[in-house]
Amino acid sequence: MADKSKEGKEFPSMVWDVERGKIRELVRAIGDFDPLWVDKEVAKKEGYKDCPAPPTFYTVPMMWCGSMPQVITELKINFAMILHGEEEYEYYQEIYPGDLIAGTPKVTRIEEKTSKSGRKMDMVTVEINYTNQRGEKVAKARSTLVERK
Amino acid sequence: MAKQIYFEDINIGDAMPALVKGPVQKLQHVMYAGASGDFNPLHTDDDFAKAVGMDGVIAHGMLIMGFVGQAITNWIPKKCLKKLGIRFAGMTKPGNTITVSGKVIDKKPGLIICEVTAMDEKGDVKITGQFEAALPSKG
Repeated sequence: MADKSKEGKEFPSMVWDVERGKIRELVRAIGDFDPLWVDKEVAKKEGYKDCPAPPTFYTVPMMWCGSMPQVITELKINFAMILHGEEEYEYYQEIYPGDLIAGTPKVTRIEEKTSKSGRKMDMVTVEINYTNQRGEKVAKARSTLVERK
Repeated sequence: MAKQIYFEDINIGDAMPALVKGPVQKLQHVMYAGASGDFNPLHTDDDFAKAVGMDGVIAHGMLIMGFVGQAITNWIPKKCLKKLGIRFAGMTKPGNTITVSGKVIDKKPGLIICEVTAMDEKGDVKITGQFEAALPSKG
């Protein structure tokens, strides 16, 4: 079960290069063929500097940088028993290929709950604040994981 | 790609155009694992999924949230989207067809607040959530 003493813990920040190819991979997997994500000229005509990252792109640095796996390991959560409970993003500005974003994960809440069927579970909420290479805030991501027991 | 829409053109109760996705395929789970970096074998390995009490692999919740993002940005330009928060209400299995729908539930100056739902062909809800978009005024 999740280690309650880690509530409030901030983890080292991780840095992620926003790559054009990674954006393409993500929208291909989703099956979203909007040219906005992959065609710079189309994006410019729509008033963007370049192809913007799609709404759920922040899952990519979170998983690939190992920030979420690191939190899961440190909190002694059983990886096999995790379900994703909630996900929330607040967007302050666009991120584009070539941007270097940094995210600092923080465990904001660990709470035990009982499901309708009477099963006990831990709810773990992790917030990641992202900034770009100019130190400007670009987004906040809030993830709630459910560890079934 | 969404056309620019204006604050004055949107009313409480207006529907977001529905988006139908799928059927979701196991191959898509593999593609999503590689793209997102979420290699939990629950999404790609039937034997593993059965060992932890499932019938077989389930889709990444974030893939279904990706469908929700697609439905929104088909309707509202990406740059107008300010907030998107969802709760995962059910698991998606290979073969499920997912319909994303939504409607405007509130308006504040310059901002619309919408609810959004993703459900499968049987009406089982996979995601419920809300998003906020800042829309320009015709001025």
